[in-house]
Amino acid sequence: MMGKLSKPSQELASRILAEVGFEDRLIGYRLHMRLGAISTSLYSFEETLNLLCEQYPRMDFALLEKWILEVMGDKELSEKIKAIIKKDTSDQKKTYRIRDLMAERLAQCK
Amino acid sequence: MNGYLGKILRVNLTDRKISTLNTKDYEPWVGGHGMGSAIFWDLVKDKAISGFDPRNVVTIMTSPLTGTLAPGASGRTELQGIGVQSYPIEWFTRSNFGGRFGAMLKYAGWDGIVIEGKADKPVWIDIRDGDVRIKDAKRLWGLDTWKTQEEIWQEVGGDGKWMVPGAADKGGRTTQRPAVLAIGPAGENLCRIACLIHDAGNASGQGGFGAVWGSKNLKAISVVGTGSIKIADPKALMDARLWAKTHYAMTPDDVTMAPQYFGMPSIPIVFWPRPKQSRPQACLGCHSGCRARYATGRGNESSCAETAFYSQFELKRHSGLIVSAITSLLERFGHEAMAFLVRIFGGKEAPASYIATDLAQKYGINAFELFVGLPYLRDLYKKGVLGPGKAIKSDLPFDRIGDIEFAEKLLRMIAYREGIGNDIAEGFFRAAKKWGRLEEDTDTGLLPYPQWGLPNHYDPRAQLEWGYGSLLGDRDVNEHDFIILTFIATLPIWTRKKLPFSAEEVAKIFSEKLIPYEGDPLMLDYSTNNMYSEHIVKLVAWHRHYTRFWKQSVLYCDMRFPDFINSHTPDRRGITGEGEPKFLNAVTGKNYNFADGMDIGKKIWTLDNAIWSLQGRHRDMVQFAEYIYKTPCCKSASWSGLYYLPGRENGKWKYITMNDRHIDRTKFEEWKTKFYEFEGWDPGTGWPRRRILQSLGMGRVADELEKKGRLGKG
Repeated sequence: MMGKLSKPSQELASRILAEVGFEDRLIGYRLHMRLGAISTSLYSFEETLNLLCEQYPRMDFALLEKWILEVMGDKELSEKIKAIIKKDTSDQKKTYRIRDLMAERLAQCK
Repeated sequence: MNGYLGKILRVNLTDRKISTLNTKDYEPWVGGHGMGSAIFWDLVKDKAISGFDPRNVVTIMTSPLTGTLAPGASGRTELQGIGVQSYPIEWFTRSNFGGRFGAMLKYAGWDGIVIEGKADKPVWIDIRDGDVRIKDAKRLWGLDTWKTQEEIWQEVGGDGKWMVPGAADKGGRTTQRPAVLAIGPAGENLCRIACLIHDAGNASGQGGFGAVWGSKNLKAISVVGTGSIKIADPKALMDARLWAKTHYAMTPDDVTMAPQYFGMPSIPIVFWPRPKQSRPQACLGCHSGCRARYATGRGNESSCAETAFYSQFELKRHSGLIVSAITSLLERFGHEAMAFLVRIFGGKEAPASYIATDLAQKYGINAFELFVGLPYLRDLYKKGVLGPGKAIKSDLPFDRIGDIEFAEKLLRMIAYREGIGNDIAEGFFRAAKKWGRLEEDTDTGLLPYPQWGLPNHYDPRAQLEWGYGSLLGDRDVNEHDFIILTFIATLPIWTRKKLPFSAEEVAKIFSEKLIPYEGDPLMLDYSTNNMYSEHIVKLVAWHRHYTRFWKQSVLYCDMRFPDFINSHTPDRRGITGEGEPKFLNAVTGKNYNFADGMDIGKKIWTLDNAIWSLQGRHRDMVQFAEYIYKTPCCKSASWSGLYYLPGRENGKWKYITMNDRHIDRTKFEEWKTKFYEFEGWDPGTGWPRRRILQSLGMGRVADELEKKGRLGKG
């Protein structure tokens, strides 16, 4: 639900809105019946969120959590993602929850 | 000859000679690809020429089912010749497109078209029933594919008023527009990733045939016909169609299920959300509208990768819309509602994706190359090796990727070979080679081109029949026959919902239909322990033979066949096996059974391999790109899996994740040996042996291979 995340600092907001370099990119996958599992380079928080908004997104959540912590520097969000990963629920629901949290964070930063 | 018109149009552009081939001479190949390969074999004396050589022959073939009531088989047309896209050898290859061109060709009285030679200046071919003329294309040259079609429609007629296209041979009259197949500027400028476009959204995309036509100075072929097709047993055909509708939901009335994709709505397959004002659109005679027409007029009839190549980037630019929508509703609705909301809005409302797709068509550029190649280009930019003042010079505005300005600039540069576009026009693989990046980027997989310098589709490390078949053939097979195996399991596992079938059940159902190798469920065991086995040899062979005949010669559409599993039948068995020959026999009056078709498929596949052997293929060059051997598929740390396929672990069937798998080079080489032996090809070279060629009635092919030192031993 809205309001799960505390207001980000200006520094954090800047990092979240910025693109990252090649070495810091995250890899996700789009899954589609006609195209297969398409690996995709994600160069920003926003792109990552967008991938999670696809119909069948695929991502290693542990890598995402690490990326949020180490590249984005968002400890609060990474801990919340870590908690979601541990939940005994489907990957689809985990995807939705992580996506919603990221959407909230992005909205805070914009 | 029921289902046929009896003659194939032969056009020699060099001497402008128009003649005919007798369809009867090629009837044993039935149609489409089989006839095309046989004609190519007969007419091209030196098979080792370049695709740009005027001696290259392009065949455009229909099937007996084209233009009839057969579901999913009326609207496809098969195109073959030496392509210019693959690397290191420009393989004899194929492409295929939908729409109404093939049907119109038959209504005009022709079973196919054979293009030979090279015109001394730009021409187009005007077919009006039996009246065929080679015309000056000076005023068309330089136009895009859509404008070219409009100009031809204007000249020939087809403005909705009655026209008499074939007065010279007492043809009938019609209100139909001519069906036009055309190249755009990309083809004229010999881009190896140029395609042919027909109407809107129908592209003969793979192989670079747009450039082959460009090299022949052939701008377009237009055909309008007023005849009809003689059906051996019209009642049987109608009954078969009703039977397919009643029992297998092969009907436009039911949009809830599509037979090939259990549980997938039969709606347009596009990667942008369909605006509310849209409607499905089908190829001629098809029961399934798998593309759409929109009130905006943008993106009409495009589907699949065409709609994906730029929407993947447009997402990036417009996610603010999603975020606004999501955050404003988060508190009021839960996650399920959010998922619905995201599906509805999706963030792709802006028109850049539609405009870019239309532009790719107008220029005549292969969208699948763009779909895989454009992310590679961006990776190079982000890596700091491409851009202003970088090792690879480019002024492409990557900060604007996702906007239409970026797409307009890139596509124009490719079509007209401007700047970096001149490199990309050679295909991204050749461009990487020119940039000195090929070895590194195919080692790491940054350039995901697994075989023959062609872009990745389904990953060979997971979807074995797809990857192995592409490598043993000439192109990305783009045949989705077994993809349902992936989705039956992957989506329920992702959502933790009940699996519709156990892995063992699905293997059993599929294996029953894999005639002539039926009853071997281990053909569906995708586990690492089984991926180099004789069972996978049979799976790949079955797939090559099935598609070569039933899909590429009889021309059943890849979107709808085969139908292994069908949610509408009590036993969940699909139409495949019984359905394919039923329609073919009703139209032709012959008595083919499913296995007959598989035998012809093997024959066609073997003939194709004979052609590749003459082009220079040897088993030693049949190798995946290095990353397929060196890096894992879907590298994972802690996730449940990208996608799943059936297989056995410790003797028990289950759905197995394909994460972290690569292909073992040594074991794959052993597998190739088994495959060659199974097909009757020499495992030392991969070339067909005389024994198999003779048993398939192709002794003369063996003679030529022997003459050229390319006949397999043993």
